[in-house]
Amino acid sequence: MSGGEILRLEGIDKRFPGVHALNQVDLDLVEGEIHMLLGENGAGKSTLLKILSGSILKDSGRILLRGRPVEITDAHHARTLGIGMVYQELSLVPGLTVAENIFLGRWPTRAGGLINWPEMVTQAEAVLGSLGVPVDPRVRVRNLSVAEQQLTEIARVLALDVQILLLDEPTSALSDRDRDRLFGFLRGLRGKGVSVLYTSHRLGEIREIGDRATVLRDGRKVGTVAVADAAEDTVVRMMVGRDIRERFPKTPVPIGAPVLTVRNLRASNLLRDISFTLHSGEILGVFGLRGAGRTTLARSLFGLARLESGEVLVNGGGIEVTSPEEAIRHGIGYTTEDRREGLVPMMGLPPNITLASLDGVTRAGIIDHREEQRIGARLVEDLRIQPPVLSRPVRLLSGGNQQKVVLAKWLASKSRVLIFDEPTRGIDVGAKTEVFQLMGRLCAQGVGLLMLSSEIPEVLAMADRILVMHRGRIAAEYARGEATQEDLLRSAVGLSGSGMEEA
Amino acid sequence: MTQHGYGSWVTRLLLKGGPIIALFLLAGYLSAVSPHFRTTSNFMNVLAQTSVTAILAVGQTLVIISGGIDLSVAAMMALAGSLSAVSLAYWGWSVWLGLPLGLAMGTLLGLLNGLVITKGRIPDFIATLGMMTTARGVSLLLTQGLPVPSHVTAIQLKAYLPPELIWLGSGAVLGVPVPAVVAVATALLGWTVLHYSRLGRSALAVGGNREAARVSGINVDRARIAVYAFSGFTAGIGGLVLTGRLNSANALMGEGMELQSIGAVVLGGTNLFGGEGTVVGTAVGALIMGVLGNGLNLLNVSAFWQRVVMGLVIIIVVIFDQWRRRRFGA
Repeated sequence: MSGGEILRLEGIDKRFPGVHALNQVDLDLVEGEIHMLLGENGAGKSTLLKILSGSILKDSGRILLRGRPVEITDAHHARTLGIGMVYQELSLVPGLTVAENIFLGRWPTRAGGLINWPEMVTQAEAVLGSLGVPVDPRVRVRNLSVAEQQLTEIARVLALDVQILLLDEPTSALSDRDRDRLFGFLRGLRGKGVSVLYTSHRLGEIREIGDRATVLRDGRKVGTVAVADAAEDTVVRMMVGRDIRERFPKTPVPIGAPVLTVRNLRASNLLRDISFTLHSGEILGVFGLRGAGRTTLARSLFGLARLESGEVLVNGGGIEVTSPEEAIRHGIGYTTEDRREGLVPMMGLPPNITLASLDGVTRAGIIDHREEQRIGARLVEDLRIQPPVLSRPVRLLSGGNQQKVVLAKWLASKSRVLIFDEPTRGIDVGAKTEVFQLMGRLCAQGVGLLMLSSEIPEVLAMADRILVMHRGRIAAEYARGEATQEDLLRSAVGLSGSGMEEA
Repeated sequence: MTQHGYGSWVTRLLLKGGPIIALFLLAGYLSAVSPHFRTTSNFMNVLAQTSVTAILAVGQTLVIISGGIDLSVAAMMALAGSLSAVSLAYWGWSVWLGLPLGLAMGTLLGLLNGLVITKGRIPDFIATLGMMTTARGVSLLLTQGLPVPSHVTAIQLKAYLPPELIWLGSGAVLGVPVPAVVAVATALLGWTVLHYSRLGRSALAVGGNREAARVSGINVDRARIAVYAFSGFTAGIGGLVLTGRLNSANALMGEGMELQSIGAVVLGGTNLFGGEGTVVGTAVGALIMGVLGNGLNLLNVSAFWQRVVMGLVIIIVVIFDQWRRRRFGA
């Protein structure tokens, strides 16, 4: 299966203001291999892929394509060289159909330059069919699920007949079934001699799909290993540069008085009969499949979705929350599933961190910049946010560090109830562990944590109690250590058997 | 381990100082080719001419930072100035009532802009475009299309504008034109609001990422309404100064100034899509426009060509600004 070398990178270097994103990185890609690119957030993986796909330019270094030096100038140039990239952030046009998106910019035409619609739909069907994606090419992209959009995005790149396929965390939004389908397809491409460079945060995928793996850390290459010879621990150590003792560090914290009580909540035409109590120092896990109502629950409690009926009590007192402003005043904080919804991209770190607690840095209506810098500097150091450059706009930070800024915002706000929606989505092992440690510290300070997650292992490991949601209701409740992975899944799909009986 | 800034002052200047560099290059060139340009009297003249645009541009800066745009600043200015003038010249109001009336009118119009945009849920562009026409129409109705006071009324009714208002537009303090002093004071106010108040911070957050501002507990509607009200208020200040400078108010005064104010904001490095910008930059942007206009006059460039040059300069500077953002900010 492995042929000759198709791509070689020598001494690739890239600096952004304040960071050395890539420091003399070498890499070689062999024909017909799936090459994993691993590293923590901010290690330089995405930067490397963006240089190869032409969306940013390298500062120095050489790129050899089949032994010939090339200067990739832009995305179009990369494409003509046979390099295609699937971006982590979806780059589809929501208002256009699937077929139009797949052939964006190179629509099949008739004489006179008019678009040949039937031809485009037929070709799109062929591409989607070969990938096994059950999507109608005539549907508008905005009507697709996230997973379907991701698959469309991949189909779009594959329609280009690429020799080198770059994938930046393609599975972060996919269900297991779609992921298996994608992997099957990647293996098929490998059989045809296509080379794949693939970044992922999911360690399980390395062995499942990878042939070789290159690990980056802080912009430098740590090494390249053949996946068959490398133990998972070895790879993790290479990535973080230290042993991670526990992937799920759970601090035992005494559970205190109720901080949040919800009674018979009904909201958004989806949630029904939601009742639970969250205690001080407790992590209450909320598990459920997509569409089960986890995020709706969070948004209802935070004043972003309208309650139809039911009671919400904070510290024993009933509250009415109709806006995030009020929720925050009652001591509730919320980190959104998509961390970009929680950050102001061009602002530096301190203003982002104090955004939810401006009262705390305002004296007589005047913002105290020195106090704000002090709070920012303390949290940046405390959470090991990299790079620790306070004035740096957060949009230039890596995903994991952005997530830490969002968490820092709620640490600064001194909320008593925190709702974390997928707090480890799309961040790497090292950063995940830090987020979990932070959750432990918050609990030790008496905060009650509502942890919404679709990652079964982390819910099982971190939560003191677990609620499982199914179709807008709480389908089951488990104490810590009571449930297995299978129990959670059974409850989440609506099968009774263990836990509560479904009404 | 924390550090500030991006590094050397050279990089910082390149990153943030584009407008200042442009202003110095322009002034240097004009000093070299026109001896009259470097005279103090000419300099004061530039300041006086730039002031009204600069005053409007202060409010415009906050609006644009919050992700909006205010096309109605010049029209609000005309209505505020006309109302003040009518109250002073025809209704016999004292300056202590007549001048605040203009400021209140401007603020009220801005408030209406904000309410229509947020509660009526229509785009900023459309709402302020509507206000632009409506406010001009109301000004015409109020003044019956005549200057206030007009020649006739001044002679027959002895209706004059009070000396205080004339001083605001044409006086001088220690040789510095009063309009320039007012412009500096307005810019200081805008700077304080942007830098030190919750409103300024909210505007930056709302313009940078409205959703993030919302989930951080910022009342997005309130912030946007307040920013438009502030723009109306600075338009009111501009109306008083311009009326004083012209010795009378008229419904059509300052036409086209909304675009000049937007030009000054953009020349000053404020992101037209919101989220970042400075009042100091805007002041520099307004000066660039003023110096350029003055220089073109001194060089005897025809008024027709001046417009062409102004338009091109705005486009070229913004192209440079976008390039700089990409190059240094990726």
